[in-house]
Amino acid sequence: MLLGRSSEDDESVNLNGTISNAVDSGVEHGEVLLRYSDAAVGRAANLAEAREAVNAAMGPDAVVDCAATIANFQRMVRIADGCGIPLDAGSRRVMEEWQDDLGIDGFRSRCNTFG
Amino acid sequence: MTTTARAFGYVDSPWPVLERMAEAHRRSWEMLASAGEWWTGAERVSVAAEVRRASAMVDGLPDPGPGPAALPEAAVFAVHKLIGDLPNVTREWFDETIASEGMSDARYIELLGVVVHVWSVDEFHRALSLPLEPLPEPIPGEPTQIRPAGVKPHDSWPPTIWPEDLAESEADIYDGAEYAANVRAAMSLHPDSVRWLADLFDAHYLSWTEIRGEQEPFRVLTRPQRELVAARVSALNECFY
Repeated sequence: MLLGRSSEDDESVNLNGTISNAVDSGVEHGEVLLRYSDAAVGRAANLAEAREAVNAAMGPDAVVDCAATIANFQRMVRIADGCGIPLDAGSRRVMEEWQDDLGIDGFRSRCNTFG
Repeated sequence: MTTTARAFGYVDSPWPVLERMAEAHRRSWEMLASAGEWWTGAERVSVAAEVRRASAMVDGLPDPGPGPAALPEAAVFAVHKLIGDLPNVTREWFDETIASEGMSDARYIELLGVVVHVWSVDEFHRALSLPLEPLPEPIPGEPTQIRPAGVKPHDSWPPTIWPEDLAESEADIYDGAEYAANVRAAMSLHPDSVRWLADLFDAHYLSWTEIRGEQEPFRVLTRPQRELVAARVSALNECFY
């Protein structure tokens, strides 16, 4: 949703890149950021390697900022799904524009979010 | 366990953790150790210990052991569900949980607040391969059992407070905003959890003010980079919201 809003100002952002590694997100250094996110959330054996790739491409401050962003959304998803919150009106409009393309309708929490 | 005063030093960290992040983590541990509205400090620390047990179970690691106070069975189950089985958290499960012995909607929300913030701080450490901070010693005190007067059923499972219904005691939780997004209001049945969320949200991601404006200069990732990561983490957790 947030990326959807960012993409309104940046036509080069491809939202499908958030779901599929086969699609270039169009975000600068997006590939290394996603690889690090996948490794951290997935408890992957390549975590150190993925983190080092961010470090090599963007520097250590970016590694910390990315780790913090990952940690933030590990929290936010649990608040959202732990409370069954519905989409806000503005977010629903943005979501409807691209949810079919992303293939996220199969997520179990959809029935909570849309009531 | 340790005291909170020397926690989160990051002196030996190979990564340049900002002091503002360290300070927010220390405040988190103080919040954790203190009595809330519905749980004692010892119970809250036990919830945190259960978060680590649930995580260890998911990761196939040794059981780090329980916390200092016994918890209702439904509370223990809720922690494990929220950490290890999030896609299967349902309205039916929520209703059963808050109706269970030793639970209520307010106790569930305060528990959720502890779970998500401890989990978030721990996940930051895991992402950087830093050792987890020892849990704090509980601070003595009794729960206030104060339920905000302005909570009403809205669209979320638990009742929430909308900005126009805030009383003086919780008037600060939305920073004066006339509108609060559902995720921001979700835990308003326990106002301190909303305050905790804002504090760590700012330290880890963006302030609520930055969400709709320019981000602060000390942020390193650009907005698209930040939100790409956010979207991927949400997708990996199968979170539709």
